[in-house]
Amino acid sequence: MMWLAWRQHRKQALFAAVGLAALAALVIPTGISMRNAFTDSGLAACLRGLGTTEFLRGDGCDSLSDMFSGRYETLATLSMLFVFLPLLVGLFWGAPLVARELEHGTHRLVWTQGVSRMHWAGVKLGLVLAVTVVAAGGYALMVSWWLGPLNQAGQSRMAELSFDVQGIAPVAYTLFAVALGVFAGTVWRRVMPAMAAALVGFLALRLVVLVQLRGNFLPAHERTFPVIGQERPNPTLGDWTFSTGIKNAAGEVMSTGEQIQCGPAVAGRPDAICAPYGPGAYNFELYQPAGNYWPLQFIEAGLFTAVAAVLLFLAVRQIRSRIA
Amino acid sequence: MNLALEAHSLGKRYKRNWALRDCSLQVPAGRVAALVGPNGAGKSTLLNLAVGLLRPTEGTLHVLGRRPDGDRDLLDRVGFVAQDTPLYPDFTVSELITMGARLNRRWDTPLARDRMEQIGIPLDRRVEGLSGGQRAQVALTLALAKRPELLLLDEPVASLDPLARREFMQVLMGSVADGDTTVLLSSHLLGDLERVCDYLIVLQTAHVQLLGGVDELVNEHKALTGPRRQRADIAGVAAVIRESHTDKQTTLLVRTNGPILDPAWTVHDVTLEDLVLAYLAYPAPGRAVLGVAK
Repeated sequence: MMWLAWRQHRKQALFAAVGLAALAALVIPTGISMRNAFTDSGLAACLRGLGTTEFLRGDGCDSLSDMFSGRYETLATLSMLFVFLPLLVGLFWGAPLVARELEHGTHRLVWTQGVSRMHWAGVKLGLVLAVTVVAAGGYALMVSWWLGPLNQAGQSRMAELSFDVQGIAPVAYTLFAVALGVFAGTVWRRVMPAMAAALVGFLALRLVVLVQLRGNFLPAHERTFPVIGQERPNPTLGDWTFSTGIKNAAGEVMSTGEQIQCGPAVAGRPDAICAPYGPGAYNFELYQPAGNYWPLQFIEAGLFTAVAAVLLFLAVRQIRSRIA
Repeated sequence: MNLALEAHSLGKRYKRNWALRDCSLQVPAGRVAALVGPNGAGKSTLLNLAVGLLRPTEGTLHVLGRRPDGDRDLLDRVGFVAQDTPLYPDFTVSELITMGARLNRRWDTPLARDRMEQIGIPLDRRVEGLSGGQRAQVALTLALAKRPELLLLDEPVASLDPLARREFMQVLMGSVADGDTTVLLSSHLLGDLERVCDYLIVLQTAHVQLLGGVDELVNEHKALTGPRRQRADIAGVAAVIRESHTDKQTTLLVRTNGPILDPAWTVHDVTLEDLVLAYLAYPAPGRAVLGVAK
């Protein structure tokens, strides 16, 4: 059975190997040069100097990190495209796994040989899931390593899309995509509808979790700092800030989506931008602290792995008793 | 009597439609049984039930003495050629034979290779490069290489041209001539099977219409012709299957249960084809007319 599974899916395994090699060819040289620039420009030393100070006065490392981030902006944007890799794996490995057999009728050939359906399903799913974990793990490790300096320079690895291509979450997304593709294949029994269903289902759950759930998995923290003053939050802490605004002295929200700060020298002038907020006004921001990165990764990965397990169970049930 | 396949009140329903209902039949071991009926009569359903691809909705089914539920002990002993002979299009013939060897405990690789050589199908040819007739031959070879006790073939020649049909049937009969293998093959055309089968099952709209050994069935059915008259009880006639009238003459196709001695009737033998056509046109589908299975 192993022989058959390998014979049928060796092309996909080859694609995965080629894809990972291409990724490595992109990531390793640029990653090394990025790391060198990170150290040589003095940014690394500057950030070490700042440490985890919560508030800063003055420039901090902003000019260095702006320069660094500007230089590697294209690569950082490119890395966001990796968010679609799990989907591709689900569409091209997961969806056809059972659907192609059903569409071509070859399940009638293979299920009437001397192996039980459960054995067949176990070996095929086992092989594809194992290759999936290895390929997705390789991709996640490489991208996590690659984005390291950019994360430290202020592009938080907690932020949307950045979070989604690093750590262990991508492995769970890929498992989910494959399981969804397999399950859709057992329901629709044709490759194209199964791919379409997997596409829609994957994007739907990912978006709901990203937009609605992730920020609430753990309680958010609030950080405040005065409108009139010179202390501002350290932007390189790696927090995930998802809401900002200004409150007046009484705690009423005056505006959202902006933060303002005026030095004491200009604060008294009537044309200063701070003037409308009155004395005692302060900026606030709701955020997940950088320390919640791994707990959030485990929660998100656990959620998607659990959904994948349920889908696989349902797919196996379909194979065992619903399909002829 | 040793039965290769035995069904009692077997039924299979898809959503609201019964594909097979109240089906009771036996196929004695060692026979070459033809399963005949129009498209949609339930032939594929019966064969898929027999090989465990489908589960019955009601009734019982025993194949080689076991219930088919997809366990490998039974699958090892049953060869199956599915409708349209599905094969992996990107596999070579040789890879398909390897696949069979890997998936079956009982597998005769030399037999498979020799047969391919005899028929002239190159082992390194991919399935997608084979003709329909060659694909059918490969599928048959894969089923035969299991050295099955029961060989099930679902419309194996439906998509083949007449020459390929004849070749396929010749190869099939040559392979099971030893009589150790029971064969059950379906077709919507009796003509494909008439010369090879010695046992007949006629399915019509999800029901068994006729069942029995070919010789017994042919012997026990007669065509009667005589002067036109209203139907009356005729000594020796168990059932009238079909009647037709002209101005002067009445023709009956009957199942007999004894000699017909009434001098008013001329008795003719019937061909298997007449018989099948008469039963397929049987006016009251739903009642199985069971022949004698000896």
